[in-house]
Amino acid sequence: MNTMFSEIAWLIPLFPFVAFLLLLASGRSGQGLGVTIGTVGSLASLVLSILVLMEHMSDGSKYYQDGFKWIDLGSFQLNIGYEVTNLSALMLVVVTAVSFLVNVYSAGYMKGDERISTFYSYIALFTFSMLGLVLADNMLTLYIFWELVGVCSFLLVGFWFTKPAARAAAKKAFIVTRIGDAGLLIAILLLFWYMPDHALDFVRIENVFEGQSGTVAAGVTTLIAILIFVGAVGKSGQFPLHVWLPDAMEGPTPISALIHAATMVAAGVYLVARTFDIFQASPAAMETVAYVGGFTALFAATIGIAQNDIKRILAYSTVSQLGYMMMALGLGSLTGGIFHLFTHAFFKALLFLGAGSIIHAVHTQNINEMGGLGSKMRITAWTFGIGALALSGIPPFSGFWSKDAILTTALHENPVLFVVGIIAAFFTSFYMARLFFLVFTGRPKGEGRIHESSLTMTIPLIILAVFAIGAGFVETPWNNTLGEWLTGAAGADHSGSGLVMVVSTAVGALGIYLGWLVFVKGTIARDAVSSRAPWLVGLLERKYYIDEIYAAVIVKPLRGLGSLLNAIDQYIIDGIIAIIGGTAVLLGRGGIRLQNGQVQTYGLITVLGLVILIIAVVGRRFWS
Amino acid sequence: MISELPILSLITFSPLIGIIILALLPRGSSRWLRVTAIGTAILPLLLSLWLYADYDSAKDGKPYEEQVTWVDTHFDRLSDGASNSLSFKLQYHMGIDGLSLPLLLLTTIVALMAALASVHIKKRWKSFYIWFLLLEIGMMGVFMARDVILFFVFFEMTLIPMFFLIGIWGYMGREKAANRFLIYNGIGSAIMLIAFVLLISTAGFSIESESVQFFSGSYDVIKANLMDPQAAVNAASAWNGNYGNLFMSESMHWTIFILLLIAFGIKLPIFPFHTWMLRVHTEAPPSIVMIHSGILLKMGAYGLLRFGIILFPEQAHEWATVLAVLGVINILYGAVLAFVQKEFKLVLAYSSISHMGIVLLGIASLNEIGLQGAMIQLVSHGLISALLFLIVGSLYERTGTTELGELGGLARSMPFMSGVLLTAGMASLGLPGLSGFIGEFLSLLGLFESMRILTAVAVLGVILTAVYVLRSVLAITFGPMQEKYVALRDARLIEAVPMIALVAFIVLIGIFPAVLTEPMKHGFDTLLQQLSGKVGG
Repeated sequence: MNTMFSEIAWLIPLFPFVAFLLLLASGRSGQGLGVTIGTVGSLASLVLSILVLMEHMSDGSKYYQDGFKWIDLGSFQLNIGYEVTNLSALMLVVVTAVSFLVNVYSAGYMKGDERISTFYSYIALFTFSMLGLVLADNMLTLYIFWELVGVCSFLLVGFWFTKPAARAAAKKAFIVTRIGDAGLLIAILLLFWYMPDHALDFVRIENVFEGQSGTVAAGVTTLIAILIFVGAVGKSGQFPLHVWLPDAMEGPTPISALIHAATMVAAGVYLVARTFDIFQASPAAMETVAYVGGFTALFAATIGIAQNDIKRILAYSTVSQLGYMMMALGLGSLTGGIFHLFTHAFFKALLFLGAGSIIHAVHTQNINEMGGLGSKMRITAWTFGIGALALSGIPPFSGFWSKDAILTTALHENPVLFVVGIIAAFFTSFYMARLFFLVFTGRPKGEGRIHESSLTMTIPLIILAVFAIGAGFVETPWNNTLGEWLTGAAGADHSGSGLVMVVSTAVGALGIYLGWLVFVKGTIARDAVSSRAPWLVGLLERKYYIDEIYAAVIVKPLRGLGSLLNAIDQYIIDGIIAIIGGTAVLLGRGGIRLQNGQVQTYGLITVLGLVILIIAVVGRRFWS
Repeated sequence: MISELPILSLITFSPLIGIIILALLPRGSSRWLRVTAIGTAILPLLLSLWLYADYDSAKDGKPYEEQVTWVDTHFDRLSDGASNSLSFKLQYHMGIDGLSLPLLLLTTIVALMAALASVHIKKRWKSFYIWFLLLEIGMMGVFMARDVILFFVFFEMTLIPMFFLIGIWGYMGREKAANRFLIYNGIGSAIMLIAFVLLISTAGFSIESESVQFFSGSYDVIKANLMDPQAAVNAASAWNGNYGNLFMSESMHWTIFILLLIAFGIKLPIFPFHTWMLRVHTEAPPSIVMIHSGILLKMGAYGLLRFGIILFPEQAHEWATVLAVLGVINILYGAVLAFVQKEFKLVLAYSSISHMGIVLLGIASLNEIGLQGAMIQLVSHGLISALLFLIVGSLYERTGTTELGELGGLARSMPFMSGVLLTAGMASLGLPGLSGFIGEFLSLLGLFESMRILTAVAVLGVILTAVYVLRSVLAITFGPMQEKYVALRDARLIEAVPMIALVAFIVLIGIFPAVLTEPMKHGFDTLLQQLSGKVGG
């Protein structure tokens, strides 16, 4: 057993935390310093994470756990701890790698921003929290970091706080995810009171729920699983709590890559994977996860077609891909979900950073105002194209393999969801083709000269592109390295994967071809649909009116209720209390009037008081 | 060494030194008056920190008691002749245990911060600081008094200084607010006094020997008699046949319990007795609201715990659901109303109502987790609301308004203060890593054992809290900034110091809750034993 690096794994989140503290202490003074401190912190984490992962890939070493007592309440105690499993070791590398690249990239992207040091401190705090979440060995520790990543996301979405849109988006991101968090909180309360010895650590959760041992009643198990899933839905932008994620694109683009594509939003998937035994003990919960995931995958992909903001298209794509991951988990394929999480982290981070490079050059986010950028920004165009192909599931790019794994599982488990997945894949490749062709081909639309971005920005693109191409080969139908390593079991059933490959590739290619016909060749008019069915386009552009529905059904009634209660509070409750108080004052006034200096009055009062006292003393004896 | 000193009295009356010095200083020398007051407020903080360092929870406060007979009036019994004398005993009895210590520390911390924050006071400094220090004596006394009448005296000692502090140094509607404050707290005190007198005349009865019997206000005597009523009844019956009936009567227990619930419920405040405190929040000077929201409201919860719950566990157990429902109403009602307020101070006032609801939930759980949660929530909310009103004071001094509609974008001109405000907001909405989470989480966790659905409903409050906190805090700090605020200066050193100190305490409790849970460890032992013995068995 060799756990040398795992034993010091707690250092991994500590590096960025120290960076955060340094940046916090230096304030706005440390302009250039911020970049260095932040980058060095994340690099240190990355190196150690890679060492931990290598340790876990070698034979013999599997697991390390450590922690301490946090709150001691006599017969109860709550712990904070970390553990290194294969899954968390993999996630460590994903998080630190993307975080490091985003740190490097931001040095170029955020250059000249007077609050760049603040920006780096937020990224460092986020990286710390995300790594803490990944390493957590129990539900409470996970919840603590879960909330912390949420607040970092909030801070970064609202980074350009003077913009009203950023303020609204930050608020929305925090509140909508908090709805999910409330569910997760109740799940933790349930676990605490139902688990033997009030244990909240994942190891014992696994032991208790593995193989539906019946220690926890079936109904309660389902309830716990669903409530955990509610938390995951909030964080991972699943329907119906997806509304915050596209708005979160108000944040700086490197943040969208790091938090709102590669890492934090995947935390929901990670959470379900961590507590997978609870889900597997409840068929109803598994079905819920699968259908919500499948529906979200399709639902968000259709919206992606009608958006014009490059970042919003990618955001809906993220929602859609997270739906795929959830669907995989719901269908029982832990490997499929985590595999797609892994590949998606690289190609989606690549796409977002590419989008950042474009926005940096053309100063707009509207794809209709772009065009012909391919010749001017060669590195961006090439790497973005690789990312787009990976997302569209074209072989041999990484997304193809992971999507294929999910679709194969769906084919075995649930044909309906297989069809849903295939349709969503078609829309995916279509909206990516639309995006790519509108941005990179055709004639330039904007004014002014356009340059390729600086090296600090393009090098991370190139590195990510390499991963977007190669990351898929860790798990193919002929080679189940990842699956066996993650779950310890032999690879899943791959029969039929040949068919799936053919179908999904065909569908992906069809989407791209259609996009080419519409947006390059012009064989099909762009307004072919919007002229015939304007309501449909409107529906998609308005994102199925979900925001409007929430405003009408939740926000307005709540405000109305508040105003109503406010009026009641001011006039009725305060009024009644005022009357009671007024009576006391009147009594007091009466008392003052009695003090008129006449001895007879005093005598009378004394006698009265004596009588009352006697009555009280005598009466007390009969009080029972 | 510490146990040889009358440390509790030293702490309580240490501000007297400052009062004497202040009285000797000329009224115009604002600087010296201020320095004296701040210096004096440091004294009890240091002493209580010393006490905290020395405190051993395993002994549950046993060594820290100071006791002197205060009033001892003999009166001959009418019926039995002079040989059998009866006396009425009141004691100056101070004590500290796991319940008192955290709140004593809170008091000394918040009082010092409020003294620092009083730089915004613009007139009559001398009398301001004298009232201020008197108020501090009263508050510390409340948390240490171990005789019901002594408790009452200290409790009243906080009312009078508050009345003047609101009425003289407040905003436009200060006099009306001060009157309201006095009337409602006066009603609460009157009800409390009735309950205490009933307690003394029933459970306060104690027989020392054949010829010495007395009615006592001693908390220990009352508690011992209530805990083991049969022994008390036997003794009392031997002495006077009729007495036992009254003492044991169920309805008497209920009467006292409900009177205490109302008396302390007004202070806490429990819906619908909350309207008086809204005015105090808006009209009192911010440094006084720091005290009011930070400490005075906690006296209500403390009184409810110390006298209502610990003395009457059976009644509390039977009414646990009622308490929890009241708590949930407080949480949701406060949160929904905080959501629609247009004035930041009112948002915070309703937020206090909402957060005190969590305390009620913790109390209603009647288990160790929830009770500890309630205590932590008290300390945590005390620190957080003190911090928030500290910021309100500094904000108002610069902008002249706390109307949300007139503010915005202040993070640009005042990044430090906005950062602190955001931190305070995050603490208030229960972000892990900050103190608010611990109190909230433990209260909910405790209550969940017995009342699942109610707890789940209360969790809705967690969402609503995020809604109103972010709405108000972001309205002030984020968004476009008005031209007139461009030149605003960020916090000065004297403002920054208490802000940083309070944030530090909030973070400390959030990360190492053991600083609070350790001294409280055995604070509820007797109550829990009694509950499991009487109710469970």
